[in-house]
Amino acid sequence: MSSCGAPAAEGGEALMQKRQKYDKSKNCVRCKDNIGNIVVRHAVYCKNCFSPMIAAKFRRGVEPYVNEAPKGRRRLKASGNILVGLSGGVGSTVILDLVNQSYFAPRTDTPGGKEHPRFNERIWQKGFVCYVDISAVFPNMRDRTNEVRNAAKTYDALEFILVRLENAFDDSWWTSVGGKPSNSELFVDFADQDLLITAISDSNTDPVAALRTFISALPTQTAISQAIPTLVRVLLLYTARHLGVSHVLLGTSLTSLSISLISSISQGGGFTVREESDEQWMAPGSTTPIRIIKPLQDVGMKECSAWAWWHGLPVVQKEKLPGTGQDIAALTKDFIVGLEKDYPSTVSTIAKTCAKLAPKHGSVRRCLLCERPIQEGIDDWLTRTSIRSLSIGNTTPRFSTARLTPSLCYSCHTTLTSKSSRGATKSTSSFVRLPVWLSAGLQSAEYSMFQIPDERDQPAEKTSAKDTEVWQTRKIGQQEMKHAIGDFLIEDSGQ
Amino acid sequence: MAPRNCVLCEKNKAMLKRPKTGQQICKDCFFYVFETEVHNTITDAKLFSPGDRVAIGASGGKDSTVLAYVMKTLNERYAYGLDLFLLSIDEGITGYRDDSLETVKRNQQQYSMPLKILSYDELYGWTMDSIVKQVGRKNNCTFCGVFRRQALDRGAAMLGVDHIVTGHNADDIAETVLMNIMRGDIARLGRCTSIVTQGEDTIKRSKPFKYTYEKEIVMYAYFKKLDYFSTECIYSPDAYRGHARTFLKNLEAARPSAIIDIIHSGEAFEIREEVKATQKVQQTCRRCGYMASNDLCKACTLLEGLERGMDTTGITERARKKMEAEGPAPSNLRTIPFYKRTAGSPAVMIESSPA
Repeated sequence: MSSCGAPAAEGGEALMQKRQKYDKSKNCVRCKDNIGNIVVRHAVYCKNCFSPMIAAKFRRGVEPYVNEAPKGRRRLKASGNILVGLSGGVGSTVILDLVNQSYFAPRTDTPGGKEHPRFNERIWQKGFVCYVDISAVFPNMRDRTNEVRNAAKTYDALEFILVRLENAFDDSWWTSVGGKPSNSELFVDFADQDLLITAISDSNTDPVAALRTFISALPTQTAISQAIPTLVRVLLLYTARHLGVSHVLLGTSLTSLSISLISSISQGGGFTVREESDEQWMAPGSTTPIRIIKPLQDVGMKECSAWAWWHGLPVVQKEKLPGTGQDIAALTKDFIVGLEKDYPSTVSTIAKTCAKLAPKHGSVRRCLLCERPIQEGIDDWLTRTSIRSLSIGNTTPRFSTARLTPSLCYSCHTTLTSKSSRGATKSTSSFVRLPVWLSAGLQSAEYSMFQIPDERDQPAEKTSAKDTEVWQTRKIGQQEMKHAIGDFLIEDSGQ
Repeated sequence: MAPRNCVLCEKNKAMLKRPKTGQQICKDCFFYVFETEVHNTITDAKLFSPGDRVAIGASGGKDSTVLAYVMKTLNERYAYGLDLFLLSIDEGITGYRDDSLETVKRNQQQYSMPLKILSYDELYGWTMDSIVKQVGRKNNCTFCGVFRRQALDRGAAMLGVDHIVTGHNADDIAETVLMNIMRGDIARLGRCTSIVTQGEDTIKRSKPFKYTYEKEIVMYAYFKKLDYFSTECIYSPDAYRGHARTFLKNLEAARPSAIIDIIHSGEAFEIREEVKATQKVQQTCRRCGYMASNDLCKACTLLEGLERGMDTTGITERARKKMEAEGPAPSNLRTIPFYKRTAGSPAVMIESSPA
């Protein structure tokens, strides 16, 4: 029903009132003396008060999660090492600086004397900075590894680790981080809604080629923009496991968090909305989880940029992926960043609202692609709400053939199968190699139900009106209806 | 390129690309999947029982016109055993409802369904024209929305029905999910994807088009040659829903499944238990007996504000408190009749469809 909307139908505000940029005076709200240098959500801060405020927010975002048993000991001591994910962007550059400044750089300004335990014992024994290079995704992308490495050089207490996106398809990398080598190479058919799996013995093992085939087989630009961060995240996690890391820190700012929350919800990731802000990952076969912390999730992009600018941090310019701009992630980013300019509170409202949500049902399985919890019953829900075959209920489901669909979460399944309204629909099979952890997961005992068919070596053929409202009543004729749905009519399908 | 065969029946020539799935299908298969998905929605949620009296909220727009047609079709095809009624609300906007009410009256004849038209004027003593004259155009949606919701319940009570079905489609629901997240309305976010809503003393209300794309509704109307009136309200650019709507349309253009994906997200999460505990408990309006969050329901608060010339009373909490501080309502204040459900037996005469 295209209702009049009535945003306030049940009592809410119809309009978002614009507010002044700052509330009271131009003086810093903290020291009250200095003229402010930055407005943070209507509050004015001077440069001197700004940095301690951000540093305190950062520590508040980290320290409650350091000890395994938070109430057991007062002293902070992590069970493993720390790894900072560095993309070269503002958020991760700032968090690297904050981690170094707060926990690794020698401190002389704190009372307690040189023999004080805080100088002798680190919270994390070792620190790592991990950069995942994605330049191999497309042929002409620039490799920024050296720039990022140079940026990380300043922090010599943290060891630089380089991972490349193509490692996701590299058996030798998988083995080097402790993964179990798979018995056979598993491939999936993206053209099929069920994502049929097959094993091919004689295949091209070049990881870069496999990565590019995987990316080019994805059905939409949105899927590409979603798949790359997913691969990056899982590569980071397996690297972290290999390095004995207990805490992974990411530089997701409040703005980035709001973007990823809305983007994830728009891609069907509602079940894992909590994982966007706070996540614990248990590696297969492990007993201790790795905590993924985003300590800047209360700090906006503007504050991060101000920190980077005032501290002279080298922010490496990010390279845009070719073709991005009209995908869900980019559209969400444009939308949220636009909102943040006019309505700075909306961004924090999104994050606060989502923090009040929890998944409706528990989960015992995890998605083999993104390693996040799976909601059960997705297959059935999709079949009932979006009929894709006339044979529902009349034939036996295709369980006799190995399918990837049941092993994926809704969001990853959508990423691999949901098509664009534009462009030709792929009708032929395109078997694509699976990321190494996914192949390993499918061949593990948990998923041994998936039988690889005997014939697997032979892939089958396959108005704007400012401050006013205007009621318009018009009879909609056949021509107008046709215009509204014209993009979806194959030819002149007038009856 | 020559058109391909329908991917579903593999016999007929494909005539459309289905907005929801991207599949190229023929007209007959489109009708089949469209109707079957609505049927699945109805049966999975166990919306009806045989003998239920069900009112279709009919505005004369595309959603309710198609809903009336589909409800009648499914009721006959699957023998739901429902008594179907049409219920229309006349907001009293000159020139707005006249044409669309004609569509509803024609539906009444075509589908042989009794029709009840209830006007704001009849119920509240105010038309939207008179409200806009007093409050201006800025907040009139609040009045219209609150009054319509209650008017539907009251109209349904008059018809003695057990259930109201409305034409809210998948786009509306996805848009509401996004909007509630953006404005932090956690209570509504928790319930906006529910297919059925029912308060303690209100009539069950459901959305059989919950998973139906707006584009497919237009497509269905087009192929079935159902005519309707567009009753769109053009919002000012700053309105929340306007933002959410534009954003959603962009997402849909990027990937059509975005609409159903957002609904799936909305169904997958719920409000955390500790947050639920802080939510307001539902009460009954002491003046009209309708469900309320405060002593007075929203409609009574708005109406009292109108009557006392304090127009923002129902819009902001501050204005409501200010009105309360100014003392009790005068005794001669016009109020809404007391709400009482009379399921099973109509409390009013309804217009039967001509034989």
